[in-house]
Amino acid sequence: MKLDQHNDQANNGKPFPKPRVPLAIEEVLTALVMAALALITFINVLVRYFTNRSFAWTEEISVFLMIVLALVGASAAFGRNHHIRIEFFVNKCKPVLKRRLGELAALLGAFMFGVLAVLSAYLTWDQYVFDEISPAIGVPQWWYSIWLPVLSTVISLRLIGLWLRTRKST
Amino acid sequence: MIGMLLFGVFVVLMLLGIPISVAMGLGATLAIAVANAEVVWFGLLAVPQNFYASLGKYPLLALPMFVLVGTIFERSGVASRLVDLAIAILGRGPGVLPVVAILVAILLGGISGSGPATAAAVGGVMIVAMTRAGYLPSFSASVIGSAAAIDILIPPSIALIVYSILVPGASVPAMFAAGMLPGLVFGIALMVPAYFLSRKYGMGALESELPRPPFWRSLKDASWGLAAPVLILGGMRAGIFTPTEAAVVAVFYGLFVGMVVYRTIKIHDLYAIFRDAGVLSAIILIVVALAGVFAFSLSTLGLITPVTEAIVNSGLGEYGVLLLILVLLVLVGMVLDGVSIFLIFVPLLVPIALFYGWDLVWFGVILTVMVAIGQFTPPIAVNLMVSCKIAQVQIETTVRWVMWMLLSSAVVLLLLVAFPEIVLWLPRALGY
Repeated sequence: MKLDQHNDQANNGKPFPKPRVPLAIEEVLTALVMAALALITFINVLVRYFTNRSFAWTEEISVFLMIVLALVGASAAFGRNHHIRIEFFVNKCKPVLKRRLGELAALLGAFMFGVLAVLSAYLTWDQYVFDEISPAIGVPQWWYSIWLPVLSTVISLRLIGLWLRTRKST
Repeated sequence: MIGMLLFGVFVVLMLLGIPISVAMGLGATLAIAVANAEVVWFGLLAVPQNFYASLGKYPLLALPMFVLVGTIFERSGVASRLVDLAIAILGRGPGVLPVVAILVAILLGGISGSGPATAAAVGGVMIVAMTRAGYLPSFSASVIGSAAAIDILIPPSIALIVYSILVPGASVPAMFAAGMLPGLVFGIALMVPAYFLSRKYGMGALESELPRPPFWRSLKDASWGLAAPVLILGGMRAGIFTPTEAAVVAVFYGLFVGMVVYRTIKIHDLYAIFRDAGVLSAIILIVVALAGVFAFSLSTLGLITPVTEAIVNSGLGEYGVLLLILVLLVLVGMVLDGVSIFLIFVPLLVPIALFYGWDLVWFGVILTVMVAIGQFTPPIAVNLMVSCKIAQVQIETTVRWVMWMLLSSAVVLLLLVAFPEIVLWLPRALGY
C-alpha cells in the first residue's frame, strides 16, 4: 500500500514533472465535497435529534456526493501516482524496467477508465431516453449518472498525462 | 477457463504493481466480455452498473467520515497528551515506555480507523522519547509498528466497516463490539514481550528518575481525547447514532477540540484536512467500487461454487482449511492493506465459512487479526515501514524484536480460535 504523501520522486531521485493542468482543481473539489458530506450528514443528525424527522433527500444527495468524492479524489490521487498497489516486487526491478512498468500501469488505468466512461455514457443515455426518475427526490436520474462518464474521462486523461510524464522522466 | 482468465489477469497485473483497483476492474471487464461474447455490448453494461451499486450504499458513508475523524485527531495533538497521561500513571521505569506506547496506540485506535496513521502519530511522539530513555530505535520501531496494527481491530475500524458492508449478516455495531476484546487481548499480548525484552536487554534505564507529569493536569488535558471513543461507541450503543452519524459527530467534536481547546488546528489547516481525508477516502472507495465489479463477475460467472467445493472436498478437514486460510492471509497481509484484502477474499471465503457453520462475526474478527499480523511481519510490513522511517532504521533490524511480538500474536490467534467467546461475548451482551 502506498499512501505516502512525499513520494513525488521518480526513479533516480529526479523530481517528477508536474502536470500542466494543476491537480489543485481536483483537490479543491475533493475538499469541498468532503466538507459538504460532513455538513449534510451533521445537519441530518441535528434535525433528526430535535424534530424526530429525517430528510429523505439527504440520503440520496450524500450517496451521490460520495460517488463524486471517489471519482474526483481518485483523479487527484492518480495524477500524483498515489494508489493502493503492491510495490514490493516493482521496487526490486532495475530502473528501466521499473519505469516501463510505471508506463504500463498508467496506460492500463487510462484504458480501464476510458472503457468505464464509454459504458457509463451509454447507461446514462438509456436513463435519459427512458425518463428514469430518482427514487427519493424525483429528479431525472441522469442528473446524477452523467458524472460517472464525465469524471471517468477526467481520470483517463489524468492517467494519459501521467503516462506522458513517466516517459519523459528519464 | 473464464475463471482462470479473471484471476490470472488480476494476479499478474497486481504483482506488476498496477493499482489494485485497475487490476480488479480489467480482470472483471475482460471476464464479463468473454463470458457474454454473443450478447449486445458483451453484457458490459454490468460494469458501470456494479461500479455504481457498490458505492451507492448509505452505510458506506461511514468510511469517508471515519477517515476524516482520523485525519482531524491525528493533527489535534491528542497523541502527545495521551502519552503524558499514561506516563503520569505508569511512570518511566525500565520497560514502561513501550507499554505506554502500546496503550496509546490502542486508545488512538479507538478514534482513528487505520494502522499506518496511528503508527505515524504514536511514532512521531514516542520514538524520540524512547531513544532518549535508552531504548534501541529498532526496538521502538518494532513496538510501535506492531501496536499500530491493533488499530484495525479496535473500533471504529475502516476494515471492519468494509467487512460488514460485504457480509450482510455482520452489522457494523456487531463487528465493532466483536473487535473490542480481541483488540485489548492483542494489546496485552504485545505488552508482555515488550516489557520483558526491555528488562532483559537493560533498555530504558535512562531518565527513569525524571519526575512524572502531574496527574490531574495530564488527565484534564487528555480527557478531551479520551472522551472521543466514549462518544463514538457510547452513542452507537445507546442507539442515538448510526455508525455514520457517530462518525460525523466525532468529526465536529474533533474540530472543536483541535480548534478551540488545544488550538492546534487553525482555520487555514482545514483545507488540508478535508483535502487529505477526501483523497485518502477516494483511494479506498475507488478500490471498493471496482472490487464490486470484480465480485459481480466472480459470482455471476459461477466461479465461487467450484472454488468452495474444491476446498471443502480437499480432505483437509475443518481445521486444515482454517489453517490454510490463516497462512494465506498472513502472506497477503504482508503486501496489501486490510481493506483490499477483504474486498478480494471475503466473497470467496464467506461460502467456506458458511459451509462449516462458522459464525460470520467471529470469522471477520479472525480475518482481521490475520491482516493485523501481516501488517507487522517483516520484510514488507506496511506499519513497520512507517515506524522504521520515523526511527530511521532498516526494517531488517527489527526482526530480532518483532519475532517475539509475532509469537505472542500467534498465541492470541490460538486463543480466539479455541475460545470464540472472547469475540462473541460482547456483541451478544450488547444485544447486536
